[in-house]
Amino acid sequence: MWKGAAPGCGVLFATAADRKGNARIMRFIHIADVHLGAKPEAGKAYSGRRPEELWNTFGYIIRLCEKERTDLLLIAGDLFHRQPLLRELKEVDYLFSTLSHTKVVLIAGNHDYIRNDSYYRTFKWSGNVYPLFGKEMECVEFEELHTAVYGLSYYAKEVREPVYNNAVEKGMPDGRQKYEILLAHGGDERHIPIDWKKLEASRFAYVALGHIHKPDAVRKNRIVYSGAPEPVDRGDTGLHGYISGVITEEGVRAVRVCCAVREYIPLDIPVCENDTCGSVREKIKKLKKKYGNNNIYTLTLKGTRDPHIIFDEKQLAGGDEAGNIIAVEDRTCPAYDFGRLYRENEDNLIGKYIKRFSGCEEGSEEYQALCEGVNALLENRR
Amino acid sequence: MIITDIYIKNFGMLSEKRMHFSEGLQVLCGENESGKSTLYAFIRAMLFGMERGRGKAAAKDDFTRYEPWENPGYYAGVLRFCCGGKKFRLERDFSRYTKRTLLVCEDDGEELSVEDGDLDMLLGGVTPALYDSTVSIGQLAAAPGQELSAALENYAANLCESGGGDLDVNGALKCLKDRRRETEKKLRAEEDSEEEKHRRILQERTYLERDIKNLADEIEEKNRRLAAGQAPGGPDEKLEAGEAWHYNLPAAMLFAAAVLCFVFGFFFRTVAANEWSSAEAGSVVFVFTALMLAGAGLLFAGAYVYIKDRRRMRIRELEAAREEEDVRIRHILWEKERAQAEMKEKEIRLVNLEDQCPEIEENREKSRLEARLRALRTAEEQLKLAAEELGRQTAESLNEKASDIFAQITDGRYSGLKIGEKLQVSVWDGSRNIPAERLSRGTLEQIYFSVRMAAAEILQEEPLPVILDETFAFYDEKRLESALKWLRGQKKQVIILSCGKREEEIARRL
Repeated sequence: MWKGAAPGCGVLFATAADRKGNARIMRFIHIADVHLGAKPEAGKAYSGRRPEELWNTFGYIIRLCEKERTDLLLIAGDLFHRQPLLRELKEVDYLFSTLSHTKVVLIAGNHDYIRNDSYYRTFKWSGNVYPLFGKEMECVEFEELHTAVYGLSYYAKEVREPVYNNAVEKGMPDGRQKYEILLAHGGDERHIPIDWKKLEASRFAYVALGHIHKPDAVRKNRIVYSGAPEPVDRGDTGLHGYISGVITEEGVRAVRVCCAVREYIPLDIPVCENDTCGSVREKIKKLKKKYGNNNIYTLTLKGTRDPHIIFDEKQLAGGDEAGNIIAVEDRTCPAYDFGRLYRENEDNLIGKYIKRFSGCEEGSEEYQALCEGVNALLENRR
Repeated sequence: MIITDIYIKNFGMLSEKRMHFSEGLQVLCGENESGKSTLYAFIRAMLFGMERGRGKAAAKDDFTRYEPWENPGYYAGVLRFCCGGKKFRLERDFSRYTKRTLLVCEDDGEELSVEDGDLDMLLGGVTPALYDSTVSIGQLAAAPGQELSAALENYAANLCESGGGDLDVNGALKCLKDRRRETEKKLRAEEDSEEEKHRRILQERTYLERDIKNLADEIEEKNRRLAAGQAPGGPDEKLEAGEAWHYNLPAAMLFAAAVLCFVFGFFFRTVAANEWSSAEAGSVVFVFTALMLAGAGLLFAGAYVYIKDRRRMRIRELEAAREEEDVRIRHILWEKERAQAEMKEKEIRLVNLEDQCPEIEENREKSRLEARLRALRTAEEQLKLAAEELGRQTAESLNEKASDIFAQITDGRYSGLKIGEKLQVSVWDGSRNIPAERLSRGTLEQIYFSVRMAAAEILQEEPLPVILDETFAFYDEKRLESALKWLRGQKKQVIILSCGKREEEIARRL
């Protein structure tokens, strides 16, 4: 499903053949949710440079567009994490201005929505940049590409009207160009809900979506979330990158290409009764080595532990050498055989105590209370 | 279980000592330091072994206390006993390096394993703690500063709440409480750091707001200056002002020539008028008058040149001033624009900061600590409830048995004793309840004895030998006799250790 790998290795894309076969061929790259200006949590090793990495990967995609002579760069909202500062816009526009061939179309999403005082309102973009910053549906046409791109921008953090479906009902797109693309942002209840079936029935050749950070094809080669090019918080697990696409008379082909330099990986660490803090640290180290030390981890300790051992979650996360652990959660249960303990202590306090918790679920708060109490009783034997 | 023989090889002050025990009640008399308490400790050590204390505690533990004074490498003993109709032989070597335990069934010669719990089974699962709190009876001992009655109540309460045995309710509760305190502390630290984060944002906000206000003031001030600078007619009025003389060469030369002409003309005209005859003088005077007039003309010309030049210079000055003013205004405008841009930038940063506030991710560590805190609270609560429940149950059955024993010992002076709802102890003398703290030492000892004996019956499956070390020191003759009578009635082996002769005499009489 994924093509390519890390930045620098380029895209394996059979464009030469496509070019020969079709006179009218339009090549595009679709990105969204770059979140420039965000400061993602990334463990002590990477948190400092993570904001810069977001910029670097964005720069990489721009250079790629230039190298591949991509026709169209589609940016489906949330280019910035918040209201862009003037200097940030200047940086971005400088990057756009280095494109000799590519046209850039962008919209504002719910994070960088167009406020009253937004620089988006006044900024002068380079000639090859076509912002669709209207509140209502707008369209920009590229005669030479036989392409029209439709889109609108957010003017508030939330937009609850299904504006895309409404536009489709009003007869958009109207067939003014051969290839018509919708550049859209949102898709959940508070951010422009979308009825996929209706959108699918429209004449849009391709819908370039943003807002959901995980790449996802709602309809293959047709309605696609590109996902964020770099993951921006610990929930953004899995691979990240951009969509590389071609539109020909036969239709659209959209392929995911991975370009993120890091990945957020949630891992379960199996723990057994023989483990100590030291052995768990060793296990973590080994697993991280297996999955790559340049990735960022959230770890969950699972299984049973020696009742006398207490895993210090903060220490396990913070004391790691590679410094790429965001958090460690200890979900182990002390290795008490409550059935046996109960049978052996039916008549004394331990038995009575265990009985009070009968039927509680393993891992629940009551279960935790049960473990704590039994542990306290056993530790205070005379 | 009945102890039949003891062979102390080397233990504390005793060595190479053999003793034989029979069923039923028996009294061992001995003077002080004759080794009664050592024997008492030896039996316990044989039955349950000796756990070594750690670190500092090791200096005061039983192992160190009874380590033989002479020949400490040889620290051992043998205990023979009957249990379930079979004879057993238990050998223990306590010494540091050759520690060893051997349990043999003498009927069939089978060697049993202590590690695997065979001895525990023979003891009917009685733990050392249960043994200590029931059949092995010394004197009621109070902690320093503690009332004896309080010690008795403590004993009764813990016996009831833990269901006998080795559990320590208060210890466990304290442990839970400590953990709760620790968690609370961590939680507070977490909350503080969160607050610190908010505080930092707030601080940055304050800075931004202050900057924005300063910039707004600056813009306002620039506006005022601009308004003042562009007021109409300002500089023009200054055209006529300014009276300082200045040097002008052509005008000065004209003035000089005029003065020369005039003086020269005037002088010669006067000379001519006086010296010469009127005929020639007439033309000469005319010439010199003309010269004077020419001088006057030159004076006017000089004045004209001077005034004109002065005016031209004034205009040039004013133009320069106006140009300067223009530059100044442009400068103000430029500064105003810069301030406006900066203000907008700061305003956007402020908005972004405000967006960030609610966004601060929910603190996982905090919610984890809160969950643990709730769990610990539940544990404390449930442990208390469980202890109370068990306490009530045990107290009920204990009350009945202990009352019976107590009534017999006191010969009907008291008809019963009661461990109440809150596990406080009182006795019933037929007409009223007397709380423990009002009773004499002797009576407290008797309650203690009764409760222990009752507990032994309730909590022990296998009747263990009752070993009494100076238990009856505070008993009067009558009650001692009743107690021994009661003990004799029990189907148990009873070993009484005493330094007096009273127990022996009464036992013989019975």
